[in-house]
Amino acid sequence: MMLSLLRAFKFSLQDISRNIWLSIITVTILILAMFSINTLILTKVISTSAVEAIKEKVDLSLYLKTDSNENDIFALQLKVNALEKVKEVQYISKQEALDSFRKKNENNPEILQALLELGKNPLSPSLVISPQNPNMVPELIEELRALDSNIIESRDFNDNRIILEKIDNITKRIDEVGFFVIAIFIITSLLVIYNSIKVAIYTHKKEIEIMRLVGASNSFIYAPFLMSSFIYTFIAVIIIILVSFPLLGILQPYLEVFFVGYNINVVSYFFDNFFLIFGLQFLIISLINVIASYIAVRRYSRV
Amino acid sequence: MIKLINVNKAYKNKVKILQDVNLKINAGEFVSIVGQSGSGKTTLVKILIGEELVSSGQVFVGDWDISKIGKAEVPFLRRQIGVIFQDFKLLPKKTLRENVAFALEVCGQKQSKIDKVVSNVMKIVGLQNKMNSYPNEVSGGEQQRAVIARSLVHQPKILLADEPTGNLDAINANDVIDLLLKINDFGTTVILVTHNREIVNRLNRRVISIDAGKIISDQKNGKYII
Repeated sequence: MMLSLLRAFKFSLQDISRNIWLSIITVTILILAMFSINTLILTKVISTSAVEAIKEKVDLSLYLKTDSNENDIFALQLKVNALEKVKEVQYISKQEALDSFRKKNENNPEILQALLELGKNPLSPSLVISPQNPNMVPELIEELRALDSNIIESRDFNDNRIILEKIDNITKRIDEVGFFVIAIFIITSLLVIYNSIKVAIYTHKKEIEIMRLVGASNSFIYAPFLMSSFIYTFIAVIIIILVSFPLLGILQPYLEVFFVGYNINVVSYFFDNFFLIFGLQFLIISLINVIASYIAVRRYSRV
Repeated sequence: MIKLINVNKAYKNKVKILQDVNLKINAGEFVSIVGQSGSGKTTLVKILIGEELVSSGQVFVGDWDISKIGKAEVPFLRRQIGVIFQDFKLLPKKTLRENVAFALEVCGQKQSKIDKVVSNVMKIVGLQNKMNSYPNEVSGGEQQRAVIARSLVHQPKILLADEPTGNLDAINANDVIDLLLKINDFGTTVILVTHNREIVNRLNRRVISIDAGKIISDQKNGKYII
């Protein structure tokens, strides 16, 4: 059994090397197919990160009167926190608001000077409300509008749902186009593998004929061709791994600049999900190739 | 050894290739099957090696009924029947030794056994000095002898030679026939399919004549009559 496998492997390597250009084209098509799949995965990771980042930006603020009593503020905080659609209520005191304002404008001496000349803290305390679910924001806004409290000075509802919807739509469109591209690549690679095996069979028609004549088992006749398709996939996966990580490394700094303040690391995503991404691609493409090869051998190796 | 009972073979276009063929070949016999082109000789060979199935009737090789042989069983049948064709069927990029060894390699034999068997069969066919030559470096007769060597590696009980001298001159053809007789002397049943009148007449062995898919004569010490 082991000896037969080794001999089949030897014949398979001979097939690949004797038809080297055909082998290169086959591997290239497989690489392009996997590249398109990985590009789609990358797009998905980036768009998901973008959506999450914007979701975090959905916050609703209640600005309170400057002379509000802290006990009243805490009571209001508890009241808002008790609302079903509220995830968290953060109290920003006058001093914290001032400190934050100063920090934000530390490079703007004119504003800081104006603040100094004012002689007092002009900022209001506020309650920053995070929703349980960004989809519930409209209802929550309605509830907050209806909230009756004499310490509320103004209400600021910064609703980013339109942006979220746009990103969702873009992501869906990318998914649709991506799947279409992947489908084309998978069909192409299937046909290319099928054709490669077909050509290899024609090249070795005499060899197959003699194999059959001298009593080689069907599995032994099939094995080298199936192994060839397996080797094509293996080489393609190795190359795509070797190409993907440097490319992701180049892309990463640009993403960090674009998503400043948000933790997005595509290199570590691909690294953490290495076996899921590349292992699954290897398994699925191997399976497709083996099926294509099996059909080609069955169809064209009859002598 | 080989028995055909009421064998008929027709293709989808209903053309009858073999009709009511009844035949018995005993172990150790040397039988010539003769007939003109299109008479059904090659179809008979294809049936005997499991390449074609009969339309009706039964074919026995030993006790094995191969009339409905499955694809998975064909390799085992072919290891019991050595086959020689007119066009040699040697791989040009392999030496004669490698060509003969190939038949054992593809059947999963160990290298030590391959070396031993190949050396023996090459001696039998008289090619021990040309083992490392490529097919294009030797004569047609030597190529056919290499094919005979390859057909012997599985120590078959039956050797089926379909027009083995078709591509050879008279001297080489006689050499090949002498080799087949030598193999027959070892106890192997030899079935020679040919339309070479001189060879058949020189052999003076059993001759089965086929015409239009039917056996028209079966002579013990026969001559080419068609």
